[in-house]
Amino acid sequence: MNLDKAGALRMKTSTAKSGLSRQTKDSITGLLMVFPSFLLLVFIVILPISLAVRESLLDPNGALSLANYKYLFTDKAMKNNIIFTLNLTVVSTVITLILGYILAIYLRFSKGRISEWIRKLYFIPMFIPAVIATYGIINMYGNHGWLARIVLALGGDSFPRFIYDYNGLLLANLWFNIPFTAMLLSSALAGIPNSLIESARDVGAGKLNLFTKFIVPMTYKTVLVAATFSFMGIIGSFTAPFLIGPNAPQVLGIAMQQSFSIYHDVGIASAMAVFMFLLCSAMGYFYIRSMVKEEPAGR
Amino acid sequence: MEQTIQLSISGLQKTYKSGEGVRDINLEIRKGELISLLGPSGCGKTTVLRTIGGFLSPDSGEVRIENQSILHLPPEKRPTAMVFQSYNLWPHMTVYENLAFGLKLRKTSRSEIRQKVEQVLKLVRLPGMEKKYPSQLSGGQQQRVAVARALLLEPKVLLLDEPFSALDAKLRMEMREELREIQAAGNLTMVFVTHDQEEALSISDRIVVMNSGRIEQVASPQDIYDQPNTLFVAQFIGRMNFLRGQAVGDRINVQSFGFHNEKGLRGEVTVAVRPEDIVMLHDESAGMGGTIRQVMVLGHYAEISIETPAGLTKVFLPREEARSLSTGSAVRIGITRVTAYSQSS
Ligand SMILES: Nc1ncnc2c1ncn2[C@@H]1O[C@H](COP(=O)(O)OP(=O)(O)O)[C@@H](O)[C@H]1O
Ligand SMILES: [Mg+2]
Repeated sequence: MNLDKAGALRMKTSTAKSGLSRQTKDSITGLLMVFPSFLLLVFIVILPISLAVRESLLDPNGALSLANYKYLFTDKAMKNNIIFTLNLTVVSTVITLILGYILAIYLRFSKGRISEWIRKLYFIPMFIPAVIATYGIINMYGNHGWLARIVLALGGDSFPRFIYDYNGLLLANLWFNIPFTAMLLSSALAGIPNSLIESARDVGAGKLNLFTKFIVPMTYKTVLVAATFSFMGIIGSFTAPFLIGPNAPQVLGIAMQQSFSIYHDVGIASAMAVFMFLLCSAMGYFYIRSMVKEEPAGR
Repeated sequence: MEQTIQLSISGLQKTYKSGEGVRDINLEIRKGELISLLGPSGCGKTTVLRTIGGFLSPDSGEVRIENQSILHLPPEKRPTAMVFQSYNLWPHMTVYENLAFGLKLRKTSRSEIRQKVEQVLKLVRLPGMEKKYPSQLSGGQQQRVAVARALLLEPKVLLLDEPFSALDAKLRMEMREELREIQAAGNLTMVFVTHDQEEALSISDRIVVMNSGRIEQVASPQDIYDQPNTLFVAQFIGRMNFLRGQAVGDRINVQSFGFHNEKGLRGEVTVAVRPEDIVMLHDESAGMGGTIRQVMVLGHYAEISIETPAGLTKVFLPREEARSLSTGSAVRIGITRVTAYSQSS
């Protein structure tokens, strides 16, 4: 006790001598360390967003107005674009989650040789650049692609239109997003100890109960993370829609690019960007809220 | 004392791909009996237990409960319940939900569940803990709830896989006493896995000593301690000294000592002597001479290491008696009881 006091006293005098207290030094170091990321945030995120918001609120004469937004939500083609994008995004996200979850569960609980191979291969799509994958899709599913040729060779007379259509984009979205979703969910499922599942079976839980009462509650947070990432990735997708998307209606990303570089309508493009940003923020808000929500289970 | 056989295992064999596993497991457990599977880590205790619980299917052999084969049943349909080694409560459920889940599946009425949960929590000395989550409980409390969860299923055989091994020594002792009380009060049949010989000796009706996938000996704690069948059991259970001896005719000779050669051994033998069967002699001409290597005071008694011509031995003495002994001095010892093993075993 006495020793402690003496030590504290000595420390006080020594810091006083060196001029700056240790606390001040620590906080200066801390500031220096976050400064680069702060700059990055300002110039890459905050500034462009504010500029876009400002741009979206100006009419061609430079006066403040909501005309751009009005156009966005009343123009027939634009309305269709928005509905098309939201529909495609939600459907793609839901199917991605379902297929990704099924794949992850299969990989977690199956021990055969096939599952061993899938485990090694399933994330390969993540390492294939979007452009190349999209051309792959064209080659495979296009009107003169491999599938069409096989169908014809087998005596079929027509091949359903796949690319330059909703279905092609859906397919591309699944291709790009399922591996990552499955990977996230796999790691969540790997975090469930076998013994927890075994003890559930021990007290009498069948497969259905096991899934709904144990596996889903223990992984729903990761499902939410996966949903957020898929949603954001899909709603902002550009490469695949640019190469194999329909001409009308268009995905918002493409429509935005066209307004901007073809019609030189910066205001409309900005309004679209802000709208998309708001959608993603809403998603982010729900995501953060559910992450922060107090979890008594403590996991 | 003819009692019904609750669990019988015969000719059980399970080999993993690695070649390890268990074989020739034959065991009959009576109703109301607490049996321990005891052996070093990796000897196959968990394998046997998981086969009974239905989490492993054996290569061959039979497992019967109340004379009905259970091998074709999945774990959820077996009349067994298991307490796992790790803390194993479901983290997303409260204590109440953890306990009630199995009963709900059995279509027990809500009021009955409430009453049973309350009762079992009292039994494991955790009344009023219903609303807590597992993460809010200490390790000992969690393991109590795990035991309660298994008890609620009213299993015909309760399986416990080193349930207390993660707890500190004092708590472990308390918990094993409580478990023994619950077991005796309910006349429950239990298979208790442990690698701790002290735990097995203190809790069991009978002990099954296992070694590299086989059963070495099945006997009461008393018999396991006094008459270890094999050198392995002698080494594994309790403290034991091993001396060099020779078997000649019907005698086992250790230096100047002679003992009865009960097993009819021949040639060089290993002679096992419990520390408490060694006495210090004060007569200069009696017994066997030796030199004190070390005196270690361990509370109210002391452990003395003595180098003798037949090998190093350890002796326990009350602290008072050990006070006069010092390292390097010569002493004489007598041996009252031995068990001999052929050296090849
Ligand atoms: N799933 C498994 N696959 C391969 N080997 C295993 C498996 N489980 C256990 N073993 C091996 O079988 C032996 C017995 O294991 P186990 O029954 O867990 O031993 P104990 O519970 O006595 O420590 C060990 O050598 C262990 O390495
Ligand atoms: Mg084990």
